[in-house]
Amino acid sequence: MSDNIHDPHSRRYHAMGTALAVVIYLFLLAPIVVTIPMAFGPTNALTFPPASYSLDLFKIFFSSPDWLNPLWESIKVALGATALAMLAGAPAGYWIARHEFVGKGLITALIMSPLVIPTIVGALGLYLYFSYLRIGGTTLSLVLGHIIVTLPYVVLMIMAGVHKLDRNLEFGAELMGAGPIRMFFTVVIPQLVPSLLSAGFFAFLISFDEVVISWFLASSNTVTLPVKMFSALEWEVSPVIAAVSTLLTTVSLLACIVAIAFKKATPVDA
Amino acid sequence: MNRISIIRAQAIFMSPAVLAATLLILPPLLYVFYTSVYGPALSLAAYGQVLTSKLFRQTLTTTLVVAGLSSLLSLLLGFVVALHLARQPARRRAFLTVLVLLPFWTSVLVKCFAFTVILGREGIINSMLSWIFGIKIQLPLVLNMVGLLVGMTNFLIPLVVLPVLASLLAIDSAIYRAAAIMGAKPARIFWTVTLPMSLPGLLAGLLSIFVMSLGAFIVPSLLGGPQDQMLSSLVAFYNREVLDWQKASAISVVLLGMVFIFAAPLALWRRRKLKA
Repeated sequence: MSDNIHDPHSRRYHAMGTALAVVIYLFLLAPIVVTIPMAFGPTNALTFPPASYSLDLFKIFFSSPDWLNPLWESIKVALGATALAMLAGAPAGYWIARHEFVGKGLITALIMSPLVIPTIVGALGLYLYFSYLRIGGTTLSLVLGHIIVTLPYVVLMIMAGVHKLDRNLEFGAELMGAGPIRMFFTVVIPQLVPSLLSAGFFAFLISFDEVVISWFLASSNTVTLPVKMFSALEWEVSPVIAAVSTLLTTVSLLACIVAIAFKKATPVDA
Repeated sequence: MNRISIIRAQAIFMSPAVLAATLLILPPLLYVFYTSVYGPALSLAAYGQVLTSKLFRQTLTTTLVVAGLSSLLSLLLGFVVALHLARQPARRRAFLTVLVLLPFWTSVLVKCFAFTVILGREGIINSMLSWIFGIKIQLPLVLNMVGLLVGMTNFLIPLVVLPVLASLLAIDSAIYRAAAIMGAKPARIFWTVTLPMSLPGLLAGLLSIFVMSLGAFIVPSLLGGPQDQMLSSLVAFYNREVLDWQKASAISVVLLGMVFIFAAPLALWRRRKLKA
């Protein structure tokens, strides 16, 4: 905006806006700022700032199967869902971005619908559907359920990535006689690496953090970390949760850094 | 490329996603509709029972009130942040955007946990107030409407900042300069240029976070009190406690209907913008 015209009015006005904005940034960051120090606090009390610092809460987390099993389950489910969502989403994202075809609107709307449909409705539907298919409560059902929520993001991010590419390179490959599949692997994929990696990271993060669908689908031996944490929060708030929160935040932070790094790596800015 | 090879390539590129959509996304939705009408016989009885029950009506009112209040509050606060971001030079804006993106990607469970610690009876706010006033203060700030609105707002602000920022950045800076040269004071520029020109973006942002918050489940479960529960919690209640899947499904269909009513204008607006 107009920073080239200076008068006391506009300065006072902007200072007020900045002060308000700073308060809101602090409010947004408060959950992260509060939980991380507490994760290094004592095991018997949840106070901020902690009275003493130690790694005890992490030791408890990494030595109790009650927390480790859900952690492994979450990693398994997130890896499976990410792999499948990428396999389905990357080629579809490319094709939707580049081609017109019959039923394109309908298929795209169906793939994107989980972004609008309340998660609880999808979760209930999946629960009923998987019980009918007799795969309820299995790790497979969790992976399949998570594909639904990760696929729209993968498709959207790949589409955005493809729109930034120079289409003439693809035409050139076609003119030289490459078939669409060969062209995809030799011309499109190499240019799309940043988008593919950030889509993969975000799919992993979304699946790793997903609560509602997992809570509906999980049985007692397929509990994921967020489900375990949700149930723990519903009953009693134990200090170990601060350590779990810090782990989850670390994963978010990594995804954020990766996304920013790859956004910078993409030559054209949109 | 000839036509046949295009069709073959299309089948290869699209079929995994189409399979996922037709085998994983569509059937659960159809199952919800089916379960909502299929009891001992095919009937709309579950809808009748749900729509006339006092519990449902109360929950519906709470849902609309909480979604309305929290999305309006989030829009207001998000607009302040977006205005601030739009004023920054590009590099500082990139840095500050991270401060919005990080909460965007933070687990909602982490936020709920943090706010139980911040707002609890012995939490940070109450301890600070007690210290300042020298008496023991234990304001009830969580497991009630206050905690719920704080949590919802914290969750929704990052969702609304980025689209509103995009609509602010789309305004030609020459207009601001022109207004300033003509002698308009900042407040006047805000009311006559910034606000009207970003209004469509603001409304779209408001509608999209309102739709998001209609289906909120985690935040009301963990930060709201028993009387502040929303429709999602009612679905979970009928599904897990009462084991009445027909009613759970009927409520889901009602919730879905509400979401579509409010999401439709948004979709139309986006399509019109794409065409323009």
